[in-house]
Amino acid sequence: MKDVFRILIAPLVWFASFSAVYGLHGLMCGHEMSGVVFGLPLERAYLVAAYVCAIAVQMVLLVALYSSRIASPSPFVRFVSHATGWVGLIATIWSLVPVVFTTYCG
Amino acid sequence: MNALERHRKLTTIWASEKGFKGWFSTVNHTDLGRMFLVTAFFFFIIGGLLAMLIRVQLATPHSAFAGPEIYNQIFTMHGTIMMFLFAIPTFEGLAIYLLPKILGTRDLAFPRLTAYGYWCYAFGGSMMLIAMVFGIAPNGGWFMYPPLSSAIYSPGINTDFWLIGITFVEISAVAAAVEITVSILKYRAPGMSLDKMPIFAWYALITALMILTGFPPLILGSVLLEVERAFGFPFFQADLGGDSLLWQHLFWLFGHPEVYIIFLPAAGVISTILPVMCRTTLLGYGWIVAAALALAFLSFGLWVHHMFTTGIPHMGLAFFSAASTLVAVPTGVQIFAWIGTMWKGRPELRLPMLHLLGFFFTFVIGGLTGVMVAVVPFDWQAHDTAFITAHLHYVLFGGFVFPIFAGIYYWLPHVTGRRRFFRLGELAFALVFIGFHVTFLAMHWVGLLGQRRRIPTYAPEDGWTAINLISSVGSFVLAIGIGMILIDVILHVLTASRGRRNPWGAGTLEWAMPTPPLAYNFASLPHITSRDPLVDQPDLAVQLARGEGYLGTPRNTWRETLTVDIASGKPDMHVIYPSNTRLPILMSAVTGVFFVSLLLKFYWTVPVAVIGVTILVWRWVWGLGRGADLAPLPIGHGITLPNAGMTARSPGWWGSIFLLTANATFFGSLLFGFAFLWTVAPGWPPPVWFDPSMTELGAGLSGAIIGPIAMRLAKSVNSKGRSSITGATMSLFGAILVAVASAAMMWRTPSPVDHAYGATLFVLGGYGLFHAVLAMLMTSFLIARIVRGFTSAVRRAEFSIIGLWVDYTSVIGVLILLAAHLPGVLQ
Ligand code: HEM
Ligand SMILES: [Cu+2]
Repeated sequence: MKDVFRILIAPLVWFASFSAVYGLHGLMCGHEMSGVVFGLPLERAYLVAAYVCAIAVQMVLLVALYSSRIASPSPFVRFVSHATGWVGLIATIWSLVPVVFTTYCG
Repeated sequence: MNALERHRKLTTIWASEKGFKGWFSTVNHTDLGRMFLVTAFFFFIIGGLLAMLIRVQLATPHSAFAGPEIYNQIFTMHGTIMMFLFAIPTFEGLAIYLLPKILGTRDLAFPRLTAYGYWCYAFGGSMMLIAMVFGIAPNGGWFMYPPLSSAIYSPGINTDFWLIGITFVEISAVAAAVEITVSILKYRAPGMSLDKMPIFAWYALITALMILTGFPPLILGSVLLEVERAFGFPFFQADLGGDSLLWQHLFWLFGHPEVYIIFLPAAGVISTILPVMCRTTLLGYGWIVAAALALAFLSFGLWVHHMFTTGIPHMGLAFFSAASTLVAVPTGVQIFAWIGTMWKGRPELRLPMLHLLGFFFTFVIGGLTGVMVAVVPFDWQAHDTAFITAHLHYVLFGGFVFPIFAGIYYWLPHVTGRRRFFRLGELAFALVFIGFHVTFLAMHWVGLLGQRRRIPTYAPEDGWTAINLISSVGSFVLAIGIGMILIDVILHVLTASRGRRNPWGAGTLEWAMPTPPLAYNFASLPHITSRDPLVDQPDLAVQLARGEGYLGTPRNTWRETLTVDIASGKPDMHVIYPSNTRLPILMSAVTGVFFVSLLLKFYWTVPVAVIGVTILVWRWVWGLGRGADLAPLPIGHGITLPNAGMTARSPGWWGSIFLLTANATFFGSLLFGFAFLWTVAPGWPPPVWFDPSMTELGAGLSGAIIGPIAMRLAKSVNSKGRSSITGATMSLFGAILVAVASAAMMWRTPSPVDHAYGATLFVLGGYGLFHAVLAMLMTSFLIARIVRGFTSAVRRAEFSIIGLWVDYTSVIGVLILLAAHLPGVLQ
């Protein structure tokens, strides 16, 4: 079961963060908000912060999957879990990149 | 014992009843796999005939062949049958037939569940056919969007047939998915570690996991829409706090993964057959596994691309557009691995290979048009035109039907033990290939000229006449081709020329047995040391028949097999299967009474059916126990294993884990729906909030805490050999408290017909009540077992299983009660 977990964890976390950011975006568009942080409108700042968090979590996961303490004893599972780890990271970066440049709520 | 005696003895133990009576009582995976496949192909023919009717209607402008009402039913039933009654059951049938053989074991994890699933499929499918015969078939399109499908715009029974019939069929999908997942993870030949698993098993595992997480949103959507239609709960009505877009989210949360649920098994077939046809091994096994996993996951982040035209904010569109382009990457990895395999081997143009080539050509085009429609501005133009229907057929026919035809020709000798005699297949392939492309290339074209999908007719001035005629002619060529394949297969089954074993020279285990296969698959179970056992040990079949593997000596009248540790493939449990019984067909018939009562609004037979199912389930599980401890049993080669009933992680525990996964997805979708309505739907906040009550909340929460703690207590007391009855009774008491609190919540919720808020709370409360009652039944069952002496420090499997359900009930109970009471408290 641990090996199954190692293989599934990164994409699962991608799915969770993808839904969370989409949900956050929906939530903010449902409720008017105003304010500026670091020269960015509040909504944008939140979204970008969530984006950065999601990427950071994926990076931590990837490092963990490569570390000898956490990685699986089976070379095959190691290979597949590294691959899915990369999938998680790349998918997070790519699928959420719209938070940086697309208009929100419109 | 010589091979013949062993064969005789095993046959008496494992054989199904003779003749057609056997159909109703068999629990054997070979029988049920074949029944699934034959039924699925029956539905394929029906769906195909409906497609012909569509093409007849569209062949000429102003066609008077079918009026709009009938036309609506025809295309809806065509899509519905192809997706739910052909494609998914074909996967289930193939997996059920093949998996135990290819994994080197004797049956699937839960034989009676296989049978139950089959009968639910057969009965649910018949309901749909009956609707069609009476001309009251569903007519809202295969995705049934409200408000069109709501009681206001579709008052008849047509839509109810879809919502109720398909949900009935989905039971079989979920049952099969649990079965397949547990079987692949646990029921393999010793030594078969994850990296030695045949590639088909990986695909089937991933597909089954996707069914477990993809189907619950659809089941939820169907339940909500049916409740709205029957009782007026306004989940999808914008003026009463609902939102019709909620349906689209729930539907496509299922619907997009569905596309991959259909494609991945086909890819499994391709990855199995292609190397054999090319006389080589599969290139990049690990890469393919990773790519399939990536595809499965990414497909859950794409659903909104079916909703690009619904006015969702730009950023939302951009997320899903980006994710949609991403799936091309793992798909590409798979395609390149296959091309590499062909490159490295020596492809031989035998019949299955022709269909594989048909797949490549068609699927790549379908993938390219898919990338086109993933681009939002293009989709705004092409949405709901024949271009989309053409695209989806390139993917579905190319990605599923061609590979399945390849699979049929590849495994037919295994099913029949015969050799193909007439050579109709090659000609049939040519007709199918040409006919398909003529039909659907033309539809791309006419779609770009503006022909919308689902229109019953068009005018000559539209300028679509010639193209439509070409398309219809093509579809008849296609139909003739499929008819010839059918005849070819029937002739194959009827002609009596015995084939040799393993005609393709394949390396996987299903060929290490006599064909047609025997009821017990293997006289003894192999020890696996590589991915292609038959290549390394060409005389494996003979060794197994001589009983040189595991479990080679039949014991008592037990249907025996063993399970392995998931990762390493080391044997860990001994299993005794139940034998032939009519319980599954009976139970699915009673389940059918439940659904039909809902359909016909005979509400007084609903409780009767529910009680009937409960009694049958009770009998079903009661029969599993043992009155006395069983010492660890030798399985050969000096290994002894504990029996599954004497362990904490029994097959039932694993089955519960995956059933609860599906269940949790259902619950998660319900919470998502609640949050979605709350934040997005117009008409919120609701006129009145739920009136919180500290007594109810307190009672429910304490029940939720007592239940699991008491259960753990019972478990630990039992393991010390003392009576666990107090713990079990306290756990029952906890479940009763949760049930009371949930019932009170349903009772006091603001009127569920006036606002979606009350409606959602009612359903949430109902979900909590259902599980609390389930937990009550299970703990009562446990008490009865303890009293009757079915448990002991060794016989402890049931404590862990029931413990899981009690824990789950507590978690959802707490969430539900908080969701209802908190907003009022905070107000
Ligand atoms: C046997 C050859 C087939 C032909 C000639 C065919 C033809 C068609 C046509 C012409 C339509 C468009 C109806 C309209 O928009 O008015 C259609 C719709 C559809 N087809 Fe097929 N089809 C075939 C096989 C399949 C298969 C194998 C599948 C799935 C596995 C499938 C799934 C669908 C779906 C989901 C729709 C959409 C139904 C709707 O709009 O509600 N078809 N088909
Ligand atoms: Cu899609």
